[in-house]
Amino acid sequence: MSDNPLLEPIHGITLEDYSAACAKMGSGLSEADIAKALGVEVPVWQEANLLWPERMKQDETFHIVTLFGQYFGQADQHPKFSNLKAAVSAEGGANTDRIKSDKSFYEELEVARQVAYEYGLDGAQWIADKYGITLGDFQIAASNWNAQIHQDIAADFEGYNERQAAYKAKYQQLFADAQGGNVADDIEF
Amino acid sequence: MAEEKDNKLLSYLERLKQQAATQQHYGGDITPEKAKMDMRDCPKCGAGRAFEKGLTACAYCGFVFMEVKLTDGINIKKENNS
Amino acid sequence: MFGFFNKKYDNPALLEEMKTRQERWFAFLDKLEARMLELTTAAIPGLKEIFDQDTDPYKRAHSNMLQGLLGQINHMRQKANDIQEEQIIDFVYQAEATVPAVTSTVGRDYHNRIMNFRMACLNRHYIFDEKLNKCMQRLQQAAGERNLEAAYQEQLRAFESIRDKFSCQQCGGNITIEKMFFIDTYVTCPFCHSQNTFSPSTGARMVLHDARALAEQRTAHLRRAYEESNPRDPEREKVYLRAMIDEWSKIIPDMAEENEKFYERLLREQSFHHFK
Repeated sequence: MSDNPLLEPIHGITLEDYSAACAKMGSGLSEADIAKALGVEVPVWQEANLLWPERMKQDETFHIVTLFGQYFGQADQHPKFSNLKAAVSAEGGANTDRIKSDKSFYEELEVARQVAYEYGLDGAQWIADKYGITLGDFQIAASNWNAQIHQDIAADFEGYNERQAAYKAKYQQLFADAQGGNVADDIEF
Repeated sequence: MAEEKDNKLLSYLERLKQQAATQQHYGGDITPEKAKMDMRDCPKCGAGRAFEKGLTACAYCGFVFMEVKLTDGINIKKENNS
Repeated sequence: MFGFFNKKYDNPALLEEMKTRQERWFAFLDKLEARMLELTTAAIPGLKEIFDQDTDPYKRAHSNMLQGLLGQINHMRQKANDIQEEQIIDFVYQAEATVPAVTSTVGRDYHNRIMNFRMACLNRHYIFDEKLNKCMQRLQQAAGERNLEAAYQEQLRAFESIRDKFSCQQCGGNITIEKMFFIDTYVTCPFCHSQNTFSPSTGARMVLHDARALAEQRTAHLRRAYEESNPRDPEREKVYLRAMIDEWSKIIPDMAEENEKFYERLLREQSFHHFK
């Protein structure tokens, strides 16, 4: 156990618990579900939910927030939440598994989500509607792929950028078509 | 021609606004709720929760409401452990 | 020495090409600017309207519409960047490769002309970019700042009107809520000492969410004074930070202790930044 006082549990809720809880909230679990899984009542959970981010704010070394990201990515393995899943369709379940095991699939959807926002859509909702993947699961995937994507960028910056640009072009086209084109499509050089 | 372009711009704006106003947001709408008071009775003996004996266990039958050790938080303090 | 470098070189086709290319580039950017100005001006009333009508406490409908508009403006930026790359920069490289070396007199003349073409085109693009940023700013500021003070005062009044309207779920005795709570909490009945759970209204919860933004609004003049100092005055920054934290803690007294710890961190960072 670390000596860092900023890592002390808050009302018995550890940073691992808190991080997994946040991931699961993003997947559609209610505060009551979260509190129950952690063995506390809602007022206790709400205090921890307020105080853990304070610990992160107080820590200029970013150690707490880094650990938060790691534990967030491991939410599916957290014993207190392992049997707790929000209801998703079979297809949603398959896509959720895929986004965590297929890096290209994750990268493509991450671009799609951003481009959706650029076309005035709620990107997180678009992903949920289209693929049945919750924001929490999306963020779990993000946090798990993060290190590897950094390695990819270091190894082949251009290749990475090309893939990203291709995804971007694909989804810009898709969303532009849906809104009847871009505002300046008719302006040519 | 200029008119056609104006119409295109205006219909784009109208559609964008419509979409913004009507689309579902992730996490759903937030319905404003009023303040309320509640109480969790002991599921084992049915007693209300007594202040003197703390928050984590039933004062009468010892039923464990919460399995954690409370620390000094905002309104909830160490003293609230049963 | 051999008269080689002073050999006559003339390329009127290239000069003509640069002239028309530059005209086309300027006309293209003129058209994009006109469109983005038109879009911005036409969008602002609707953007304001949706902000005012959006009952969502996070104003998500407004945020989506704004993102969509900024997306279109960015799309124009991308379009201009792509054309600049293909039609200006690439052309400059090709042109430079076709004319004599810069070390010769005629070469120098042509290289200068190409450089002038390049500078004129890039400067025009710079102006375009500035105008584009202005449009984005106008869209971002269209709805104005939320009046967080009014929303906060409304919540204070709402709390005053309900604070003594609760009763104990055990004995029915009247409970007055001692202070404004922003999250769920346990409240003890003064008669039977049972623990009730009090859940604040959505409005009260939003006070917690918006507290820092309100504190920033209240101390905006101090922040401006700091940001306008040149060089940036660390003392003024300290005055602003101290006041902002104080306001924040006045709004949410329960968080005063945590806010102080955050302030300590900001001060540590401040001395680091200004030391650099």
